[in-house]
Amino acid sequence: MTTSLATTRQQPLLPVRITQKSPAHRFLQVFGIALLVALAIIGSRTNSFREGQLTQALIYASAIAGLNLATGYTGMLSIGHSAFFGIGAYTTGILVSEHNWEPLVTFLPALGICFVFGLIVGLPALRIRGINLALVTLALAVAFPEVIDRFPGVTGGTQGLNIPLLQLLPPKWTGISIADRFAYYYWIAAFLLALVLVVCANMTRGRTGLAMKAIRDRETAAAAVGVNPAWAKVLVFGVSAALTGVAGSVFAMYLGSLSADASFTLTLSITLVTGLVIGGVATVIGPIIGGLAVIFIPYWTENLRQGETEGLFFGVILIVLMFVMPDGLVGFAVRISRHVLSVDPQPPKGAGAHRLAPLVPPTSEHHTENGGKEMTPLQRPTQAIPPH
Amino acid sequence: MQVFLERLFDGISNGAIYAALALALVMVFRGTGTINFAQGEMALFTTYIAWGLTTKNIPVVLCLLIATIAGFTLGAVTERVLVRPIEKRSLLATLIVLLGLFLALNSLDGILWGNQNHSMPSLFPNGVNSFISVDGARLYWANLGVWLLVALLVGAMFQLFNRTRLGLHMRATASNRESAALAGIPTGRILLLGWGISAAIGAVAGVLFTPLNPDALGLGEMFPLLIYASAAALFGGLDSPGGAVIAGLLIGVAESMLSGYVSAIGGQLQEAIAFVAIVMVLLIRPQGLFGSKEVERV
Repeated sequence: MTTSLATTRQQPLLPVRITQKSPAHRFLQVFGIALLVALAIIGSRTNSFREGQLTQALIYASAIAGLNLATGYTGMLSIGHSAFFGIGAYTTGILVSEHNWEPLVTFLPALGICFVFGLIVGLPALRIRGINLALVTLALAVAFPEVIDRFPGVTGGTQGLNIPLLQLLPPKWTGISIADRFAYYYWIAAFLLALVLVVCANMTRGRTGLAMKAIRDRETAAAAVGVNPAWAKVLVFGVSAALTGVAGSVFAMYLGSLSADASFTLTLSITLVTGLVIGGVATVIGPIIGGLAVIFIPYWTENLRQGETEGLFFGVILIVLMFVMPDGLVGFAVRISRHVLSVDPQPPKGAGAHRLAPLVPPTSEHHTENGGKEMTPLQRPTQAIPPH
Repeated sequence: MQVFLERLFDGISNGAIYAALALALVMVFRGTGTINFAQGEMALFTTYIAWGLTTKNIPVVLCLLIATIAGFTLGAVTERVLVRPIEKRSLLATLIVLLGLFLALNSLDGILWGNQNHSMPSLFPNGVNSFISVDGARLYWANLGVWLLVALLVGAMFQLFNRTRLGLHMRATASNRESAALAGIPTGRILLLGWGISAAIGAVAGVLFTPLNPDALGLGEMFPLLIYASAAALFGGLDSPGGAVIAGLLIGVAESMLSGYVSAIGGQLQEAIAFVAIVMVLLIRPQGLFGSKEVERV
């Protein structure tokens, strides 16, 4: 596969066609990642206030990416992820302040504990479908702050839990000075987000990803082709909860003091869902946009509003987006960009004629075969299967 | 005994409200196959309208009527404008739209009526001394009135479902929309009506519930109600109106007794208990107590 750009020869100029995993595609991928890294570096050079906002946005982005696994890819709406975020945060908070753990090390137990909680909450999915799970998560979101307040001995209750600042300072090996500690949190949040996105990208590709999307789009059909929807859903819910939880851990480090009534209520869950919808349901980088949106939109519109219009604003955004841009900004951008650049799947190996395809000037038939536009996640069920 | 009876009375009053809201949720679920997250906020919106009117010295009965009509309109418009175009796409999309409505309505309430709590005048005599004594326990007229009105409402709904042509159409649409449409039932109009009636029930529930406690009308008022009502709807079986009513009453009484007698649970932890109860019931009997088993045709 020498150059795949050759395929544009007899085609209209746009879209430019490249083949998956071809050098050109690889180059674009590397370029995209480099761009994200560059943006991350630029972000760290801003003033400390902006850096704080960006840190929060990165943390939310990780949490949204976790939510995306359950809600976006597998179709299980969760409005209980605020609880997992909170469980992660309190795990870190308690281990650091009470047991003198190194904050970064607490990420592992936070992952584990949230995974287990996710499994428990997802368990009803073994026996029930769709709507009921959403209700269970709703109740979870409501119950979490109550439970935290109920056990003030462990959690600080309504007083909140303060993590001594001394224990949250950057360790010496980082070379970050105490004055720059917010840069430390920023980079932790950035690295964590990168890790979370890699996990999500890997999970949602290949067999697992196909199984998840099959469950979302048509559960019965998924079961018929050998996916066990119940277990797949429970496991995805566990992983989703774990990723959101570890984002909570970073949040605990960043904030330094935790109060369930202020930070981990249903409002947070709805914020995460809003971010997911704005960024793009079932897209890998959608959560980044979503995280930025839920932090910066309220901030920028602060001057416009009188009173508490934030809820109205986000509520209307949710509704309008579902109608006009159901795949969020990223989904929309991807759809538009297909007119400019189209990544064709690699021809299957062993199909002799196809292996030579790039060397032979392709016929227009070849294009209609491969170049069909992929439908977007929230549209797929209707377009593939008539509504009942 | 006296304390027990008073707790029982309170429990039944709350339970009656949960039952009414659960019935509203079930109606929407049977028609559209989704939980209306915004049910509570719709009720709050109409309750605010009723309260706003009472401050202008309009009789409470009239306010109730107007709120009910407003509720019906709100429900019907929601179905037609927001739900119907989106429900074909996916359940997830519908739920997100309803979540958006939940958020927007609550915020709109705050913008229109401010975030202070208000007391709402009652339909019934509501003085300190307006009670009858049952075995030494006080049974307030306000409680009795709630029981009576909810009983009437539920009775009327069951008459509607089971005795009228419209009810037959509603049941047919709920059980199989395509077949119903083929049999000549205007399913669109039936769904519109179902959502309208459901929101109207919510409006009545809101106007009845709010005066039971002083300073109860606030932005956060309806949310716990929604939690209990959806617990009741799940417990009774999402597609069973009778189950929803029974479960609503049970949850109301259980809540009152638990918070009264089990000090460990008191006050704060009630909603958490409701959550655990939901999960337990769903694990053992996913279709709820009275619901029908979900069967999927491939």
